[in-house]
Amino acid sequence: MKERTISGTLFDIGNFLFMLFILLLMVFPFIYIISYSLSSPNMLKGGLVLFPAGFTFDSYAKALGDSAVLKGALVSIARALIGPAVMLFFTSMGAYVLTRSDLVGVKFFRKYFVFTLYISSGIIPMYLLMGYLQLKGTFLIYILPGAVSVFSMVLIKTYIEGLPKELEEAAVVDGANDFKLFFQVIFPICTPVFAAVVLFECVNQWNAFIDTQIYNTMSPNLYPLQYVLYNTLNQINSLEQLRDQGQKQMSAITPQTFKMAITVITVLPIACVYPFLQKYFIKGLLVGSIKG
Amino acid sequence: MITKIVRQRYLYAMLIPAVLIVFTFSYVPLFGWLIAFVHYQPGYPLFSSEWVGLQQFKAFFTETNDYMYLLRNTLSINIGALIANLGTAFLFALLLNEIRQRFFGKLIQTVTFFPFFISWIIIYSLSSALFATSSGAINETLVQWGWIDEGINVLGDPTYSWAFIILIGVWKFLGYNSVIFISAIASIPSEFYEAAQIDGANRFQRMWHITIPNLIPTLIVLLILNSGWILNSNFEQFYLFTNTTNWEKMEVLDIYIYRYGLQLLNYPYATAVGIMKTVISLIIIVSVNAIAKKSTGKAIF
Repeated sequence: MKERTISGTLFDIGNFLFMLFILLLMVFPFIYIISYSLSSPNMLKGGLVLFPAGFTFDSYAKALGDSAVLKGALVSIARALIGPAVMLFFTSMGAYVLTRSDLVGVKFFRKYFVFTLYISSGIIPMYLLMGYLQLKGTFLIYILPGAVSVFSMVLIKTYIEGLPKELEEAAVVDGANDFKLFFQVIFPICTPVFAAVVLFECVNQWNAFIDTQIYNTMSPNLYPLQYVLYNTLNQINSLEQLRDQGQKQMSAITPQTFKMAITVITVLPIACVYPFLQKYFIKGLLVGSIKG
Repeated sequence: MITKIVRQRYLYAMLIPAVLIVFTFSYVPLFGWLIAFVHYQPGYPLFSSEWVGLQQFKAFFTETNDYMYLLRNTLSINIGALIANLGTAFLFALLLNEIRQRFFGKLIQTVTFFPFFISWIIIYSLSSALFATSSGAINETLVQWGWIDEGINVLGDPTYSWAFIILIGVWKFLGYNSVIFISAIASIPSEFYEAAQIDGANRFQRMWHITIPNLIPTLIVLLILNSGWILNSNFEQFYLFTNTTNWEKMEVLDIYIYRYGLQLLNYPYATAVGIMKTVISLIIIVSVNAIAKKSTGKAIF
């Protein structure tokens, strides 16, 4: 397919430049905040910061020394570890059972789960329910409502249905019961789809913020990093307070560089798992969109 | 049948926890819809409260004109976003496919997919860093260069609200939305291109007569299926970007429900608005799905 024409070459150049522009559009905000957060505030002249002015880690030292940030990071890490584990346990068991067409009532159960994708009670009934269940102000409120993800269930079910039936049949001949069948035969070979849903849930948990805003504003100990960042963005006041506490190097840090540093810290873990996300999630996405 | 159920007890044991969790967090709150129909008093049992019927539902349409700006905002932003998201993803996939340097193509795809995974708070933080009126990088630069006299308030001025919120969405979802188009292009049989080349079609003719027509069905299916969600907004996005100066153009149904329910504590009214939104959405989704099934043979359920 190699032919060279002038219009083709011009198009190639134009297209290349256009893609370069897209690349810049995507990357620039990150370059800007990283450079800004590494700058020393009195060196900053405003405008586009592409390289750190007066390179310093002060803002990061300050951010990592802040107890709210540290606590927030712990809460976020706990969410990102416990949430996906609990979700995978309940969801994968359910997904496997839904693949068993011999189960009495399986059609009903399939509809029972999928229905919830299309109808939601809305924010108020949910809020009242959490009150009745006494989950407000607890860590469990981050985990329990998402303990079954129907979206992941559909992905896992689709994946299991694509596995060769002989595997199950052989195990049944060997006398395995349904528990063993799932946990010893099916579970170990579902790694690719599990990786996809677990990573996705990790990111969701890490990024979540609105549940804290709705249910846990009264419990600062349960603020995840995202919420700490949100507060930092909104409450310059509290930063001014910190400044007044009299530590000397603090005057060298403006709320701006501090904000940027927390933003970078919050986004960094996503960047670290991103290669895996790309590898597993995009694959899962395509499986889901084609068959799901 | 009983013996069969007994024999399948392990299967039920694995299914029941998921059934109960979903029942608790997805089905039980549906009973909460009762609030909208009764004279609600906190702490008083719902079932024995006085029945007031559709009073709250009527209030939304008769006592205020709020529904006018809410529907205008919700529909304009969501339809605009739907078209902008799919249109840009379509074009992007088409052009990316023409990039001959494979490494560069992969790099672009990798980089554009990244924003899909970052939270709205991060995007909010980036937006204020770049677009804040006086301290935002872009405004500062434009003022320094003398292009404008003072910063443009894209975050607060309602004039820019719709364009801004739609473009932010395009930025975040471009990579995600284009994946499906990229895979659709990859599934076009290479014989089509080879045959066209033998017939003397040049590159642009091949794009125009093969790639684009083969992508159109995907585009239409996505357009139809996604239009079912036209009343639903991404809550976090709007929660963060709606403020006291731009609400008139920015406030959507979901935010209105939140504001009336959890800030003004008018539970019955907020629930009623929520019920209408959900029911109308469901009707749209079901009919849109039926249309998609009939016209293209593809459907979500």
